[in-house]
Amino acid sequence: MAREFGPVMGRRDLLRLGGYGLASAALLGMGAGLTGCAPSGGGSSTGTLTMLYFGDQKSATTLQNALQPKVKKIDKDLSLKVSAINGKDWNDFLAKVLTLIASGQAPDIVSVATEGLQLMVGKKLITPLDSYVTKDMSTLKSSYFNDIHPALIEAMMVDGHLYNMPDSFNAGSMFYNSDVLQKAGAPAPAAGWTMDEFHSTAEKISKLGGDILPFDWVVRLWGSWTSFLYANNGNLIEEGKYGGGDWLWSKAYEAGDKSIAGRQGGWKWGAPTANSDAAVEALQYVIDLQKAGYSPSPDVGGGGTLQGLFSSGRIGMTIGGGFWAGGLHNAGMKDGSFEVQAFPTWKSNKSLFGTGGYSIFESSKKKDAAWEVIKMMIEAETFDIMFPGNITTTGRKSLMTAERYASTGPKNWQVFYDQLDGSVPISAPSYYNALATSLNQRTTEAISSGNAKAALDAMQSDLEKVAKGS
Amino acid sequence: MSATTSIPHAALRVSPGEVKPPRAVRRPGARRAARREGMFGYAMIALSMLFVTVFTFIPILASLGLSFFHWDVISPPTWAGLENYQRFFTDGPVLQSFGVTTVMAIAIVALQLSLGLFLAVLVNQRTSTFGRTFFRTAFYLPLLASTAAVAIFMGYLFDAKFGAINYYLGLLGMSDVPWLTSPFGAQVTIVLIVVWQQVGFTFVLFVSALMAVPTDVLEASSIDGAGPLRTLFRIKIPLISPTILFAAVIAFINAMQLFDQPFIMTKGGPGTATTTATISMYQTGFQNLQFGYSSAIAIILLLVILAITGIQFLASRKLVFYQ
Repeated sequence: MAREFGPVMGRRDLLRLGGYGLASAALLGMGAGLTGCAPSGGGSSTGTLTMLYFGDQKSATTLQNALQPKVKKIDKDLSLKVSAINGKDWNDFLAKVLTLIASGQAPDIVSVATEGLQLMVGKKLITPLDSYVTKDMSTLKSSYFNDIHPALIEAMMVDGHLYNMPDSFNAGSMFYNSDVLQKAGAPAPAAGWTMDEFHSTAEKISKLGGDILPFDWVVRLWGSWTSFLYANNGNLIEEGKYGGGDWLWSKAYEAGDKSIAGRQGGWKWGAPTANSDAAVEALQYVIDLQKAGYSPSPDVGGGGTLQGLFSSGRIGMTIGGGFWAGGLHNAGMKDGSFEVQAFPTWKSNKSLFGTGGYSIFESSKKKDAAWEVIKMMIEAETFDIMFPGNITTTGRKSLMTAERYASTGPKNWQVFYDQLDGSVPISAPSYYNALATSLNQRTTEAISSGNAKAALDAMQSDLEKVAKGS
Repeated sequence: MSATTSIPHAALRVSPGEVKPPRAVRRPGARRAARREGMFGYAMIALSMLFVTVFTFIPILASLGLSFFHWDVISPPTWAGLENYQRFFTDGPVLQSFGVTTVMAIAIVALQLSLGLFLAVLVNQRTSTFGRTFFRTAFYLPLLASTAAVAIFMGYLFDAKFGAINYYLGLLGMSDVPWLTSPFGAQVTIVLIVVWQQVGFTFVLFVSALMAVPTDVLEASSIDGAGPLRTLFRIKIPLISPTILFAAVIAFINAMQLFDQPFIMTKGGPGTATTTATISMYQTGFQNLQFGYSSAIAIILLLVILAITGIQFLASRKLVFYQ
């Protein structure tokens, strides 16, 4: 018997219908994707403020639970949702934040570091806080501004407007393993030490032999060979400042306060200077250190490997900020086994720093509530909830105490804050991401070829192209 | 032409003038049953179709659409026409990344196939069923490990100064090898790691294919005096050539999308020595915020992979033996 069996719908019909469906879905999907690029006020219609947090979800949840009672004090109907974004550095964090924004999930509050500030401002993602600060100036002046180093505030300004309330920073200081230096017979670096003294210390450590190396560093913008570049009185980009900012400096600080002398409306990054003589000399210096066997080939990005090597006594000196105090303590180093000194002076004593704080998204529907929460988060008593265990450096002078560093070390903790005087934030223009990519590529290229000049000429060309298009 | 000549089977012959037998009477409800069965079939594949549509076809079409726009994620996209595609052909670093990818992919596929075949022949000839199972599992295990975890681990092993490999080489009196810190060294190291992790897949395919080679053919070749090498090249390899083609196509598609190992171990460096096409895509999109251009690179990579796969299939017409 011939079997009458066949699909109720022909294959061609099915394919045709499937094709129509696919095309419609694709168009809808594209439409949704393209319309989703406009920032929307996510998470703001149910009395919940959303904050993006740089870290893992466990820590974010702990932070959320710790902050919730304080948020309830502001408004009993308000709650805070802290969403974690994992990343190995701020660059990674920023890329993920932008992806989240692309998916239409813009938060109300976001942690922003120097790296991402001008990019976010350039894209009009975060809102100026001038009116909020002015409104609450009388309380903020005594409770916040008088306690925060003005270098951090200025680093968070663009074109005369304040976009972020910083509460932490990390300046590039020089950490050293006390045991290694002692074994090498090298004296502990003293305040005001020079590059010659740094080199002499490295030479002494190199004589120890074995698997101990004098120095190590990480390829990145913060605290990399760039620290040598700053000390050599150079920068990757021409330094300048925006005008304006008087509305803040004249009201938030006492007239005649020396720390605000020369402060203006934020750092304005000009033409690229990546292949300047200072830059070539600085990069060639670290390459030569490696050629001489004084340092290993550096990692790119995060400093996890470096921390492991340093804490296990295989590296004598490295560049670190206050966050290393907590990091090394957590890695098992005892107080006293490591110390810190300001970065050595070369042609200048200029050093670099990066700062972090909180901004409000332009798209937030609850800006007023977000501002109240930010004020709570930058209070002195909230700092240790936000950053337990010295995992960063507090921006508040009142919190920089011996007690804070009693359990982790170092003893010379004053260096962190003192180094802010005369320091310059890492050069992070609106095209920071492209700059970071080029910096990583050209630095590793220079290390493998041994030729700093050629690599930095290429970097200069990269930056000129991207600066032109930005 | 008569029915008798066109249909030789006697039982089907129909004499002239004979009444054609009526079609079988359809059982009541048969159409409904058939429809139900048809619907069941579609229901079975619906989930897969939905999955493929949502996670493969739509993203490809969305990328295609996006490649005609400038989009920085944050601002609304603006029409770019073919600008992103034109830019590709004048973008030295991105073109270089395609070159790097192609060279590394060729090396990976060549090594993966030859090593996989070599191991499969060895295991197939010399070992018992237990041995075959053991080696199949052993060689396949690396494939089950997370690529990212393997890359991190290998990064430590191959570290020039503190890695275990250079440590042991040092004990043999050798100086430090710049595994990941010289352009050529990094390329070779990454190729070797990818091959180490992926060779299990081709190995398992080849072992199965070799086991399926008919024993009577092998016996005949043996009686005709063919030695092991002649049997391998003249009998076994031609007979498993469809499997080799399949393995080559899959390996090449995977290799052209190489990302994890160079991204984790070298960040595409030193310089741009291990910046593959997918790393270029990532940097252009997620770091430089040029998602339109990044999509254009993705579409071009898709076309390159399709073209290479097409060439492989064309070449297979002469090289692959189907029984």
